[in-house]
Amino acid sequence: MIPWKKIFTAWRVILLLTFVLFAIVAVQPHLWGNDGVAIRSVSTNSSASIAGMQSPAAKLTPLAKEKIISVNGAEIKSINDFYAQTEGLGPNRTVRIQTDKKDYNLITKEVDFNGKVDLGLKVYDAPTSNLRKGLELEGGTRVLLKPTEVVSQEDLDSTVDTLKERLNVYGLSDVTVRAASDLEGEDYILIEIAGVTEEEVKELLSKQGKFEAKIGNETVFFGGKKDITYVCRSAQCSGIDPNRGCFQAQEGYACGFFFSISLSQDAANRQAALTNKLSIVSGESSQESYLSDDLVLFLDDKEVDRLKIGAELKGRASTEIQISGAGSGINQQQAMATTLQNMKRLQTILITGSLPVKLEVVKMDTISPSLGKEFLNNILMVGLFALIAVSAVVGIRYRKPRVVIPLVLTIISEIILVLGFAALVGWNLDLAAIAGILIVIGTAVDHLVVITDETVRGEVEATDWKVRIKNALFIIMGAYLTAVASMIPLWFAGAGMLKGFAFTTIVGISFGVLIARPAYAVVAEILLKKE
Amino acid sequence: MSFKDKVKHVYETKYKLIMIFPIILLVLALLQIGIQTYTTGDFLHRGVSLKGGSTITINTIQGIDINGLESFLKEKFPTDDVSVRTLSVSGKVSGIAIDSDIQDKTQIESFVDAVGQKVDLKNTGYGVEVMGAALGASFFRQAGIALLVSFILMGLVVLVYFRVWIPSLAVIACAFSDITVTMAVFNLTGMKLSTAGVAAFLMLIGYSIDTDILLTSRVLHRKEGSVMSRIYSSISTGMTMTITTICVVLVGLIFVQSETIRQIMLIVLIGMFTDMIMTWIQNVAILRLYLEKKNVNVK
Repeated sequence: MIPWKKIFTAWRVILLLTFVLFAIVAVQPHLWGNDGVAIRSVSTNSSASIAGMQSPAAKLTPLAKEKIISVNGAEIKSINDFYAQTEGLGPNRTVRIQTDKKDYNLITKEVDFNGKVDLGLKVYDAPTSNLRKGLELEGGTRVLLKPTEVVSQEDLDSTVDTLKERLNVYGLSDVTVRAASDLEGEDYILIEIAGVTEEEVKELLSKQGKFEAKIGNETVFFGGKKDITYVCRSAQCSGIDPNRGCFQAQEGYACGFFFSISLSQDAANRQAALTNKLSIVSGESSQESYLSDDLVLFLDDKEVDRLKIGAELKGRASTEIQISGAGSGINQQQAMATTLQNMKRLQTILITGSLPVKLEVVKMDTISPSLGKEFLNNILMVGLFALIAVSAVVGIRYRKPRVVIPLVLTIISEIILVLGFAALVGWNLDLAAIAGILIVIGTAVDHLVVITDETVRGEVEATDWKVRIKNALFIIMGAYLTAVASMIPLWFAGAGMLKGFAFTTIVGISFGVLIARPAYAVVAEILLKKE
Repeated sequence: MSFKDKVKHVYETKYKLIMIFPIILLVLALLQIGIQTYTTGDFLHRGVSLKGGSTITINTIQGIDINGLESFLKEKFPTDDVSVRTLSVSGKVSGIAIDSDIQDKTQIESFVDAVGQKVDLKNTGYGVEVMGAALGASFFRQAGIALLVSFILMGLVVLVYFRVWIPSLAVIACAFSDITVTMAVFNLTGMKLSTAGVAAFLMLIGYSIDTDILLTSRVLHRKEGSVMSRIYSSISTGMTMTITTICVVLVGLIFVQSETIRQIMLIVLIGMFTDMIMTWIQNVAILRLYLEKKNVNVK
């Protein structure tokens, strides 16, 4: 008889089951597919954006992205259905698009140079779970950039580094940036990025990002690490400006943002010298008084914002400064989104500094995953075979179903836990993550074998089960702590790949050692104790 | 004496002598890596993702059999890293990109000629971009430093955990030998290392210490039985761990179609075999020498 009640009332088992349940809810797998096409991006000023459709926010989980269900009444099941419906549209027609959130009426524009009507929508087959797939698994956007002038190898390399950093600050870790050249020796930069809209990429990459803050004609500071030592990106000191907020403007809405930065001592001294020359004027209300000239912020030689300088700052080498700017949109929600996006872009530029050279986008297309389309199906099948192999080896060794079945179930639960966590924090499943999951499974097998051996055989004298489990957990904790210690430096090493690998491994092994493997130990104790 | 008893006898009494085996392996491995570095300037054959290469883009897919083209090119250039991907514009497949690790101009020309045998390049037009490494020049330096710190931290944890110098250093020595020997064997296969391969080598740090921790815990912390019997019980548990892993890796090597994942599997497989030698001969010998110094009776 199997003491089911005893197993399912043990708190470690309950804890594991609760976490597994949470993980499944987080991943939300649609095992039988998901109809419709999800919106990847909406081009600005396109038919779709005029009708009120919006690009999905980057933070949205894959399943929460708006999904097109029908076009002109015809049901859309896959990307091919979508293209079949939108292919032969003529200009100035109304297209009714129904999504899972709203209905839109789009009015088509004139035909473009290809003789086709562009709705401004980029779509992809609706995701079947909340797992984000990285570049190697899902493909991404491939952008070829060309410097607008001849540059030295050194400048090209530093451009590559700045772009990498810029994309990383932007939260896009799954990206490769590399210098390239054609056979004539012309320089290019080649970028592959997963899971972003083409609009965003264009905005971010083609801007040189020359940032200057000026008083009068004199520059106080530039963007980049030399002048700016810290850029605040947390909620306390950045976001929508509470003093300005959002308001109705001529067309639609506008909002203001703010964030604080720290200047280097040099930059602060420059500011002190410049403000010392200014005179004090009184503001609109008599309590406030300002300096006679403003601090003007320029991005790529265009004015972004104009800040009044408080009279008390005259001649002071203050290193703390608040930067502000604005954004607009057709409604308040859109205005807020644009404002925050503008803020993020400006922060990125202040952190990374400007590119040594201006770039232009030569070509931009979507590239298929390097691991191939069939990869995921194949890896699932191999995973199944691998589990069978594990069962076979453990089965031969222990010859007891009451060891083998809980062991295999524990391994499956660990995989679910890692995937659940991946879905929850929204990190891209890429090659590094797959390698991380592999090592989690590998150590899981190792540790479960240790637990089994210690409990089945144990020390001859130590008939006490507590001692046996303790012995097993001592070995496992040792292996766990060393593994985590060896992963921590990889986390800090710059390249994204090492970081992703270290992250997956640490998280996965931690879930395993702290939740799944102790539960297995309890089950093993209950099932094997009587013998 | 049966063969098994003879092996047991040698293993138990001649442990200092058989330690020559892992040491020779390590020396040979260092030699291989040294020669490789001397002749090619690189301690590993780097693949397209680590060294860079070229991409040929063709703006049509009409009349192109993508899988056929890929296998044709792989056959024609067996030592190069070749992969074919599709390009699409607003959701429709519109062209292909052929990545390879070829950077030399004349070699690119002969590669383009080969592509030309399958695709009518004259009429479709094509572009060639020669590119640098995806991970950049600083990657290896950073990875090297990170690895070094990894080893130090790992050693510190082992030291704090067991509170004895020699056994802790033995664990680290094992992980080091494991990675070095695996790298040399990998070099001998002639395969080119991809980013996945880098991940696999990193996996080995975490992986190879499992059996060493098991061995050290059992030998140093248990009281029952002789040291030798505790070593044998560790071997029995440790071999179950290693054999399970090897079976899974073999399943992977047979069924996974992705070249990238196969490389991870192959490296782990080499690492597992090396780890057996390093743990059960080298680490056991160091532990026994250490206990002998402390006058603990092993038998």
